[in-house]
Order: sequence, then structure tokens, then C-alpha cells
Amino acid sequence: MASGSMKEIKLRIKSVESTMQITKAMELVASSKLRKAREKVEKARPYFLELHETLSDIVAANTDFSSEYLVQRPVKKSGYVLIAGDRGLAGGYNNNMFKYFTEHSEGKNVCVIPVGKKAVEFCKRRNIEIVTDRYAQVEDITTADCSDIGGVMAGLFAEGKIDEFFIGYTTFVSMLSQSPEMVQVLPIVSIENNGEKKKQSAIEYDPGAEALFDMIVPIYVSGMTYGAVTESWASELAARRTAMDAASKNAKEIVANLSLEYNRARQAAITQEITEIVAGAGEA
Amino acid sequence: MAVFNLKIVTPHGVHFQGEASSITVRGVTGDLSVLPGHINMVTALGTGKASVTADGEKRTAACSSGVLSVLKNEVTVLASTFEWKEEIDLERAKENLARYKEELKKATDKKDIEMAKIRVQRELVREAVKTEK
Repeated sequence: MASGSMKEIKLRIKSVESTMQITKAMELVASSKLRKAREKVEKARPYFLELHETLSDIVAANTDFSSEYLVQRPVKKSGYVLIAGDRGLAGGYNNNMFKYFTEHSEGKNVCVIPVGKKAVEFCKRRNIEIVTDRYAQVEDITTADCSDIGGVMAGLFAEGKIDEFFIGYTTFVSMLSQSPEMVQVLPIVSIENNGEKKKQSAIEYDPGAEALFDMIVPIYVSGMTYGAVTESWASELAARRTAMDAASKNAKEIVANLSLEYNRARQAAITQEITEIVAGAGEA
Repeated sequence: MAVFNLKIVTPHGVHFQGEASSITVRGVTGDLSVLPGHINMVTALGTGKASVTADGEKRTAACSSGVLSVLKNEVTVLASTFEWKEEIDLERAKENLARYKEELKKATDKKDIEMAKIRVQRELVREAVKTEK
């Protein structure tokens, strides 16, 4: 009996060890990808800041400025860009996003542009209206893809099919903490025309301030989308790294416990054998 | 020689920062050049060739959709893509071009056709800039 349980323990140790190898490898892969992902986030930042400033300047320089992208309409239908991962095994990364989205969109008439395989699957499972499932790969999404998404969003908004747009993404707070977030992209609320003309020299707008503004909005929205996607991707990797680190630690603990059990069983078997030999020698 | 401060930024990073003596880009209403002392201006960019003269040397690039602003002799180009001639991968551009042309043929939806056209245009510009002598 003793040798049977010893064999079982040995097998379990082996299986846990091979799991540990996988989790460790995944952790390393996530770490190295994370470095690149964070660089991407850093590189995109100045572009976005400049773009925001340019738009704000246009609005601030004109007191009688109006653009349909700035008007808050009664909301009949809301659009969301939902960014999640392509794969699981990243702790609560995907689930947190979906939970947050469900809370935020409750009671609304929604349609979604999902980004990432998990987001597409989520929407299909919940029977949520999907605009397009072209972007089922979050890892190698390009700026061109994001400018497509931005164009689609601006188009649907301008046609009056959708009255507000949000981007659901995960912010990278730190290596250990990432939190889901919703930002409103349309109508643009972060830029305000408070009727006060900024003191600055005259600027020539080609073609016209309003036409130009309407041309820049899709670019602005695309920039926001790209920023959100890169940040979410970094968050996903960080979440996966943390989850895999925890899994490796747990596996290590299990192996330690099992080794102790194995040694005890081995010791018990030896003791029993000695007792049997001694007993047998005493009888002779 | 008179110069102005030029900054070219895309989501991929800062591609140029420093003094330049002229920049020519494809705007939405046609080609336009900016020289030192230009009036303050903001305009939208189309997809096309861009050329920058800095330190007496002229460099060309493929540039697509964005904004050009001139403010007090500071010129800022915000583009969604900007690649210097030497950075363009001709093979890739050709591959993409073939693929996007195929997509354009298949596209039926008005929006899809529009998107595909933009993509094809972008690759054509890349090819043209790279192969230009």
C-alpha cells in the first residue's frame, strides 16, 4: 500500500511541476511583451496631447463656434468600443471589464464595436448588437485599424444613428493594479467653448474653422481609440504577469507539500520493513 | 537662412524635431508649402508625399491623414502615419497594395469601399515615395 501511494504522489509532483513550467514561461513572455507595450503607450502620448490642444485652440478661438460633434442630443442609442483581451489566463482582466461595461450600459439601447477575441465572444454570448467583429485581434492592431474604428464611430454619430459613444478600456495604474474605465468620446465633452475668446493672434483655417474641426474629429477619435487600445494591451500583459506569478508560487507550495508527504510515506515504508525484518529475526 | 521650428508627431512617436527651412505636404485642398514666417494657420492633411528641407538637405516621406498647424513660426505636423523614405518597406507596401486592391474589388458596402480606397491610396503613396529617384 505504501509504495502505491508513493507512486501516486510522485506522479502528482510531476504534473504540478510541468504546470509550473508553463505558468513560468507565460510570465516571462508577458514580462517581455509588457516592456514593448509600455514603450508604445509612451510614444503615443505626445501625439494625442498635441491633437487635443489643436482642437481646443480651434474651439477657443471662435466664440460663435458650433459643430454637431459638440452637441449633446437626447440619447436613443449608445455605442461602445469594448476593449478586452484575445486570451484568458490574465486574472480578472477580461471579467472586470465586462462587469464594468454591464453596469455602465444597464438600461441603455446599446451596440458595440468589440476589440479583442474575448470581447467579441462576450457580445455574442450576451446577444449584444455588434457593429463589426473585424477587430478580434488586439495584439497586432495598427493605427490604420484604429483610424477605421474612429471613422466608423464619427460616421455613425454624424448620421444620427448613435447619439453617444464610449470607449471601455483598462487603465494601467501600476504593474500590480489595473482598473476598467469608461471615457466618453462623442459628443466631445472634454473640449468646451465657454464663450470666452482666448487672446491669441489670428489663425487662418483652411478650409474654414468648422469644416476643419469636423475633419479633425474622426482623427481625434481614432487617436483616443489607439491610446485606449495600447493602454489596455499593456494592462492585459501586466494582469497576466501577476496572475502567472501567483500561479507559479502556488505550484511551488504544492510541490513542497507533496515532497514532504512523499518523504513521510517513504520513511513509513522503510520503518515498516525494518520492523518486519526484526520481527522475523526474533522468531527464528 | 531663415528657419522655423518643425515637429512631426505620430502615434508611433516623434519623427522630427528641430529647425527646418521648408516643408511641403499634401493638404485636403491641394499641395501646400510652409516657409519661415508663414501666417498662423491650421489645416487638415490628406494622404500624399511630404518633403522637408532641413540643413540644406531635402528629405521625402509618405504621410497620411492628420493636421498641420503653424503658430508663431512653430510648425506641428500630426499625422496618423509618417514614414521617411528610408523607412519604407517596399515589399510590404506592395503586398498590402495587392491585398487592399482585392478588398476594394470585393467591397460592396459604401463605407467599406471608402475605407479600402483610403488604404490603397496610402500604399500607392508609399510605393511612389520609395521608388522616386
